[in-house]
Amino acid sequence: MLRLQPFEFVKPKSVDETLALLGKHGRAAKLLAGGTDVMPNLKHGLYEPEVVIALSDLGELRGVRLAPEDARDSGALEIGALTTLETVESHPLVVARAPGLAQAAHAVAGPTQRTMGTLGGNVCLDTRCVYINQTHFWRKSLGYCLKKDGTLCHVIEGGRTCVAAASNDTATMLCALDAKLVIRRSAGTRDVAIRDFYKADGVFNQRLEPDELLTKIVVPAPKRGAAPNGGALTTWSGYAKLRPRATIDFPRLSVAIAFEADAGEIVRDATLFVSAIAAVPRRIAGIAELARGKRRDDPEMVSAVGALAQKVTHPLTNIDGDTDYRRAVVPVFVKRALLAARPASAS
Amino acid sequence: MNPRTPKDAKAPPPAKAPADRNDPLQHVRSPNRIFGPEPPGERFEVIGKRLRKVDAAAKATGEAVYTDDIALPGMLHGKTLRSPYAHARIRKIDTSKAEALEGVHGVVTGAEMPTRFGVIPWTPDETALAVDKVRFIGDPVAAVAAVDEETALRALDLIEVEYELLPALLDPAEALRRKDVTIHEGNKHGNITKEVTLEFGDVEKAFAASDFLVEDDYEFHGTAHAPIETHVAVARYGSDDVLTLWSATQIPHYVHRALAAVLGIPAPRIRVIQPNLGGAFGGKSDPFSLEFCACKLAMKTRRPVKFLYTREEEFYAHRGRHPMRMHFKSGLTRDGKLTGVQSEILIDGGAYSSFGLVTTYYSGQLLTGPHTMPNYKFHSTRVFTNKPPCGPKRGHGSVQPRFALEIQLDRLAVLAGIDPIEVRRRNFQGSNTTTVNGQRITSNGFDQCLDQVEAASRWKTRRGKLGRGRGLGCAGSMYISGTNYCVYPNDMPQAGVQIKVDRSGLVTVFSGASDIGQGSNSVVAYIVAEELGMSVDDVRVVAADSDLCPVDLGAYSSRITFMVGNAAIHAARKIRDQVKEAVARAWGIEPQRVALAGGYVFDLDDRAKSLPTAQAFALTEARYETLGSTGSYNTPNLGGDYRGGTIGASPAYSFTACVAEVAVDEETGEIQVPHVWTSHDCGRALNPILVEGQIEGSAYMGFGEVFLEDHDVNRMGLHARPNLLDYTIPTSLDCPEFHASIVESLDPEGPYGAKEAGEGPLHPTIPAIANAIFDACGIWLTKLPFTPAKVLAALAAARANPPPRPSPNGKAH
Amino acid sequence: MSPDLNVLVLHVNGADLSVAAPPHWTLLEVLRYRLGLTGSKQGCDKGDCGACTVMLDGKARLSCITLAADAVGHEVTTIEGLVTKDGLDDLQKTFDECGALQCGFCQPGMILASRACLDRKPDATRDEIKEALASNLCRCTGYTKIFEAVERATRRGKAAGLGSRA
Repeated sequence: MLRLQPFEFVKPKSVDETLALLGKHGRAAKLLAGGTDVMPNLKHGLYEPEVVIALSDLGELRGVRLAPEDARDSGALEIGALTTLETVESHPLVVARAPGLAQAAHAVAGPTQRTMGTLGGNVCLDTRCVYINQTHFWRKSLGYCLKKDGTLCHVIEGGRTCVAAASNDTATMLCALDAKLVIRRSAGTRDVAIRDFYKADGVFNQRLEPDELLTKIVVPAPKRGAAPNGGALTTWSGYAKLRPRATIDFPRLSVAIAFEADAGEIVRDATLFVSAIAAVPRRIAGIAELARGKRRDDPEMVSAVGALAQKVTHPLTNIDGDTDYRRAVVPVFVKRALLAARPASAS
Repeated sequence: MNPRTPKDAKAPPPAKAPADRNDPLQHVRSPNRIFGPEPPGERFEVIGKRLRKVDAAAKATGEAVYTDDIALPGMLHGKTLRSPYAHARIRKIDTSKAEALEGVHGVVTGAEMPTRFGVIPWTPDETALAVDKVRFIGDPVAAVAAVDEETALRALDLIEVEYELLPALLDPAEALRRKDVTIHEGNKHGNITKEVTLEFGDVEKAFAASDFLVEDDYEFHGTAHAPIETHVAVARYGSDDVLTLWSATQIPHYVHRALAAVLGIPAPRIRVIQPNLGGAFGGKSDPFSLEFCACKLAMKTRRPVKFLYTREEEFYAHRGRHPMRMHFKSGLTRDGKLTGVQSEILIDGGAYSSFGLVTTYYSGQLLTGPHTMPNYKFHSTRVFTNKPPCGPKRGHGSVQPRFALEIQLDRLAVLAGIDPIEVRRRNFQGSNTTTVNGQRITSNGFDQCLDQVEAASRWKTRRGKLGRGRGLGCAGSMYISGTNYCVYPNDMPQAGVQIKVDRSGLVTVFSGASDIGQGSNSVVAYIVAEELGMSVDDVRVVAADSDLCPVDLGAYSSRITFMVGNAAIHAARKIRDQVKEAVARAWGIEPQRVALAGGYVFDLDDRAKSLPTAQAFALTEARYETLGSTGSYNTPNLGGDYRGGTIGASPAYSFTACVAEVAVDEETGEIQVPHVWTSHDCGRALNPILVEGQIEGSAYMGFGEVFLEDHDVNRMGLHARPNLLDYTIPTSLDCPEFHASIVESLDPEGPYGAKEAGEGPLHPTIPAIANAIFDACGIWLTKLPFTPAKVLAALAAARANPPPRPSPNGKAH
Repeated sequence: MSPDLNVLVLHVNGADLSVAAPPHWTLLEVLRYRLGLTGSKQGCDKGDCGACTVMLDGKARLSCITLAADAVGHEVTTIEGLVTKDGLDDLQKTFDECGALQCGFCQPGMILASRACLDRKPDATRDEIKEALASNLCRCTGYTKIFEAVERATRRGKAAGLGSRA
């Protein structure tokens, strides 16, 4: 059996205690939430922590609620970082207010992984590459790579920046929904837009310091109000994923769309993100211009948006599966995301 | 038709005539006993019933002991150092630092076990650990036994190996071409491990007389068995100098022989036990490095040693389906008769021979039914490459060419304008016949299999009428029920069973057979219960323990039900006859009047006169002696009279027809398979639940090979997907609904008429899906796996170049 | 050699069990190699196959990627724990009756994933069963008889008067 390397284990009882531990151990510590990503990576020797800090007792980081009316984010959906993906995909508030997020959460791995894995864990999922998610023997036989223990990139000859791919389904969707991450450290709390959270470095693609803890994911309240044509506006969101099997697998293409539309399903504004390509989920610029004023399923609009997304999407061999194919089907998955999109409701 | 004496390209006699051939036993080959399909009594009481498996409750509760569940006092844990290079010479191995590490009890290298072995004795090209060369990434080099796995792993890091790198051959065509790089020095034919050319009839004449010809290239990729249990072995060397090995193997007898040869200790001092096994599918039918290393280290350290392979190591041990590049040509007459088939096959063997000699023959020999094939020629060449070694996977050697042939048959049917099921009917070879290559066909229910899948899939009303993107396809196949080719030549029985009768009424059956999940222990229990008129609950089976059980050759070639089943009848019938005799004497009647059924022995003419079976056993024991019997089975002499003519010759053949339904998403190339209907002629179904399970599991495995599974190496020779996340086997959400049905063409020689069910039903699944894709959207996919990328490319090519041939179903293409 | 052992108190199958294990051992390692509960199987090393599935607080959990220390304070149920003084769990019986067991190696995990599903949804449909078992790979059966076994257990549950608790 693949064995773990020795480490110390601590299970703090509170966020404050966790932050103190993080402050003390810094980079020598590894946080463990559901374990569905960290544990296989530990078994592969991708991390060599001295201390593993298990978050399972932090009940305060679990749960879904609407931000109260007097809060700054009134009406926003606040999801504790340790809320399981199973809860996220089925929680009535998520299903109603951010249907695309429920879809993306459901698309993660398989059912047992989702009872374990958390939304915070998926947001903080490590990047993936066919040359890194392997045993130590395998990676050693390869001669290692940029991401861990080595100096070469096997995806891009001569590459100096790791291109391991963001492979987190929910991150793509949360980017499209312009969610905000609440991050704590002993010294205080900071908010960061998830769109600014990731950086184009596959070695570690997150703007998260070793003493910081992601505590909450905040999805802005759906757009409300009257559209210029008199109809009521709301936010729609939808998710589509390419993978070999109907379950378990990481995305080979991850597409999330969020848009505002009125009662006639006429789009006012739209945001499209594509991921499982490189270290950062990529925003496809210029979508709103193509979609504005069109019905959400207008075939011409759908294909124009798909073509634009395809134009700027260049899959690499970092992920298994034919790269030309993955590019070829970008428009189809953009269409699927658009057709999967559901409107936020007030419930 | 008598097979023409074939031209054999390589004339490959055994390197050394096996010693047994000069044995005085050679003319006293054990006889073949035939019991016939009839019940032993008035009617079947056990056989044919939907009974539970004898070991199912233990498995459902977690009680069943698998090899890794064994923990012995003082047990050490072994780990294997593996080659990081695809091809290299070993200059030096220094294990001193590893041996000095605290907690390490023993280290072993190839130099200590240099004897070559191979499951096929003519091609012994493996050693327990590399001796002079490594031949693929993952090839075992050294092994350590330590107090725990972590210490053993640290010790591996301390072993210093000096390698001299050699060019790696990753492509079989390159391996065939290159004369400057030889993977096995000393091999007479460069990188060719086996080459076979056989011709029966005259294919050129046949093609000239054909109205339609098709000729295409096909590719079958590598796939792995991926049993959920990895290889695992525990060895103990006792103070009595007896070496005991518990191993997750499906061939304990061959492992026993290989251990004696490699370890240099007498076979009687070795005991091999196969505990419950967590799946095998052919992947556990070679002797493996860990079995030798566990034993050697147990001998060196005098402590029990366990080796448990990781999932990654399982992929290196491999022995999976051989990738084959196949060129096929077939001809058909206007009225739908197959005229001839010709194939040219390049087989990628990986680093070692394993079963490769047989694979090479099977790639041709098993194709001559159920369709009459008057003229046939094949030329198959297996080459070494620097990749994990290939071997026998469910449907050994014949799944790949079957894929090509059944697509060609559909292509010909389309050209001739004949329904694909109809074309198979017109070529049905029938029963009691001989194939063009000299194989004796006894029972054959393939025509009924076709009827069943045709009806179940509502073929007539649905094929070609499901609309663009949806389609039905069909295919057929045959497979062996065991082979008369024992991997080491001898005249002894191929299967043996011993029965012990207890005064309590318990009957214990000692069976050599390996129950690998297919249910052979249950089958043996059903048969003995049937013969002795008892409840299955009163029959206990002890199996696959070389100290306790008679020899059986193992769970391969779909041989166990047929061979061990017959041996069990043989043994049980001896007891039955004794009981009848003893009771008849006690009652003063003729033995023919005595019957055994329902837990009683009774007088057929006076049914009130009866004895509980246990009392009858006591009476019999009192009359004769301690009750016990042996039974055995050996095949009759079979096969064509030419070199290789016995390979693929089986006492009976099973037959399968399959219809698959597909839904092609032409935007993405993704294909759904909502239904697979499989009808299998297994002769008498001894327990229909078990047969259905084998049919469903076979169809499942074929389905996975079509779309999802791909065992390959990357450009550096590293396994591309050595884990169960990346090597994607189908989940509950991917699978079609599998509809299994059974045809019972009672075989004259099978136990109660039974034949195999475990491997045959896999074959037609794959071409049936390919043929259904043609029905759905007019493309012939010929290169597995059918990835969405390939589907899209084929659809684009078809749009660019619409095929001139008639549309298969009247749809516009 | 082995780092310091911690004494963990695990609540397994209704009993508190003290066990000494290094902190980096998984729940599966402790169950199999310390507590002798070998019904939970190891198949893939890292959460890809589901053979190691146990129930943690009534939900399916992959024990090969769960640290034993992290399971402290939770209720662990293994396949051995489904057998009570009243006999086998319904699912253990139906898996046997339906021929859902071939090699049997995936079955403990499969049965526990099914139990977790039926505890929440006693009348699960075939589609819901397929969805609930999607993390558990079986290499023998093609799943057909497994679905039948779980469906039979839902029917048996209904016959025993257990409605959906949902």
